[in-house]
Amino acid sequence: MSSSRLKGSEVEDKGIILFLFPGQSKDKSFTVAVSEDPLPRLETSIDMNENKFVLNSHHDGGEWQFNTPAMSMVPLPLSAPSLAGGLMNQNTRSSYLSTPMVEVFSPGQWNHHPTSSPNMALGESNFASTSSINSIPVGKPVAISPRGMLVSTAPRIFPTSLPHFPVDSAFVERAARFSCFGSGNFSGINFFSSSPAMAPSNNEGIGDQVQKDELLQVDHESLNGSTMKNQGDQNSQIGNGESRVVIFPEDGLEGNTGSTDAALNSSSSDRGVNKRRKTVPDIERDPVQGGRQSSSETTKENIENKQKVEQINSKQIEKNGKDNSEFVKEGYVHVRARRGQATNSHSLAERVRREKISERMKYLQELVPGCSKVTGKAVMLDEIINYVQSLQRQVEFLSMKLAAVNPQLDFGIEGLLAKNLLRTHGSSSSATGFSPEMIYPQAYPSQHNLVHTGISAMASHSDTFRRAISTQSTASGYKESPLQVQPMHIPWNEELITQMAYGANPSNPQNMHSKADDFAI
Amino acid sequence: MGVIDIMDAKGTSSLGNPNPNILTPHPSKSSVAIRFLRVLSLVRHTASSSPSSRACRIRRAACSCMAYSAGPRRAWSRALLRKLVRRRRKPPRRDLPRPAAIIRRRRPVGGDRLEVALRRVVPGGAGMEYCRLLEEAADYVKCLVMQVRLMQSIVDFESHVHSVNKRSEIDPGDRN
Repeated sequence: MSSSRLKGSEVEDKGIILFLFPGQSKDKSFTVAVSEDPLPRLETSIDMNENKFVLNSHHDGGEWQFNTPAMSMVPLPLSAPSLAGGLMNQNTRSSYLSTPMVEVFSPGQWNHHPTSSPNMALGESNFASTSSINSIPVGKPVAISPRGMLVSTAPRIFPTSLPHFPVDSAFVERAARFSCFGSGNFSGINFFSSSPAMAPSNNEGIGDQVQKDELLQVDHESLNGSTMKNQGDQNSQIGNGESRVVIFPEDGLEGNTGSTDAALNSSSSDRGVNKRRKTVPDIERDPVQGGRQSSSETTKENIENKQKVEQINSKQIEKNGKDNSEFVKEGYVHVRARRGQATNSHSLAERVRREKISERMKYLQELVPGCSKVTGKAVMLDEIINYVQSLQRQVEFLSMKLAAVNPQLDFGIEGLLAKNLLRTHGSSSSATGFSPEMIYPQAYPSQHNLVHTGISAMASHSDTFRRAISTQSTASGYKESPLQVQPMHIPWNEELITQMAYGANPSNPQNMHSKADDFAI
Repeated sequence: MGVIDIMDAKGTSSLGNPNPNILTPHPSKSSVAIRFLRVLSLVRHTASSSPSSRACRIRRAACSCMAYSAGPRRAWSRALLRKLVRRRRKPPRRDLPRPAAIIRRRRPVGGDRLEVALRRVVPGGAGMEYCRLLEEAADYVKCLVMQVRLMQSIVDFESHVHSVNKRSEIDPGDRN
């Protein structure tokens, strides 16, 4: 999709709000919806499950660009079925924010275009994509709210923080109404001016869920009436031209909705909360394609390409102090940054790795007896090492013991054992038995006959025995009849002998391969 | 039979694997038992005289049985086999692919004393990442436990039979 340029030099008096809805999934199309009458339309659209909503604000002198490719980069987890594609190339006219703000709700990136011009270019009536908006789950666009809020509240907020935004009371009201963006102080939303780059590096869109939560919260707070001061503070914190990235939950984390809801509940107190709850789960449920980590990388790049990114500093996130932490593993590892933790891709990968390691350690703990009470990696490892060493020593000791036993007795015993084993376990998968068969002759080249015998001793079924013998003979090219069996004092000698007699006629070697499974050993 | 019971116990008792997707399910215990018995009988009937060399062989046989039963998918089994084979002949018989060695995403750091010790203990542990090392260690432990139980049961059984035989030998002697 090509980027479309919207030119708007004037603020639309009608308060047209331009929404860009990125195309679903990989479709990098964005539907720009502009509704002249924001309220009703948006409501409907809002009810949809939308996930993205991009307001494009352009900082160059009143021009804004929908950077489609950029947006596309953002993997939108939007399951929103209908995010209609089709970025419109519109040269919109007049109404648009002079400092268009583009917020891309992408799974984690939002590029916020720094707005230099005071005007907010709001979509164009041409856009009529309201129909396409259906898919947009603006609902209580909490999620969108930040964006939506941006849109709607922009006028309001801007006055203080972004003085360049025209304060249009009518517009404001309309915006406020339709977006149900809470009461409206979207002061939390920063539109920033200059920095083109959204420090995407931070953004590891990944961790985003948290950030998103944060954002929401922040927004919420702003909604709740944080003053512009907050905004100002935030702005100051972010720095001029700093871009904030709102990271949206990428993954459809199953458990997240609940937790997010809880988090949201805990975090935000007011009105926006409900809205957020609605939208957030929707957003969260959106399936995420691809691993977070991979997407984070791509998103990073995407961010750079994006026009605007809105970022929330981890500091701010920490401030909020949510306990929200979700960790979901899917094919690729999808990780959500915990609250209060860095969302660096490196640290996230580290966290994943640490979790894996701890998981394995727990498993080891179960294996090693007496380690359930031990806590701490070092002690555990020590125990494990000691245990393994002791096991190895035991094997050596037992092998010495076995070596010392009288062979004659042993043979019978082994045969008996084997026989019993075979009886009890039936014919297990003996295919594996063949390979060692082949190997043993190699390993012990001088004992072909013994192997032969051993096998005969073990075989309980005549046909399988025959096969075994044939196998053995094929393997070792050894056709001696197993008459070397030592005299056994055990009663089943006769059986063995008869079997061995049988074995004197080697059947075709093919039996080995075809009937490998039947081989009872 | 006491041994059979032990064998059965071995067969049924399977260590829970909480991470089926990570760790492969352990192979059947009876296969290891059978294989080992076979090798044991083989070794016992060799002409080798000194018990120590036989013990050595038996130990190696046990290790190879373990490794075989574990399957070529485990790095430790491959490494173990390689080690055993190399002892007998210089050129390794098997040259299984060693992706872990070739593709080293992380260089094993020798900083942690415990980690280094673990690497030394687990066969093939030198070239693995830490995560993988833990995985292999778990599997190795399972196999070792199974092997030990197997050998122990054989020893017990044999000693039992031996004692029974001794008694039976004595009785006819007494009667005579």
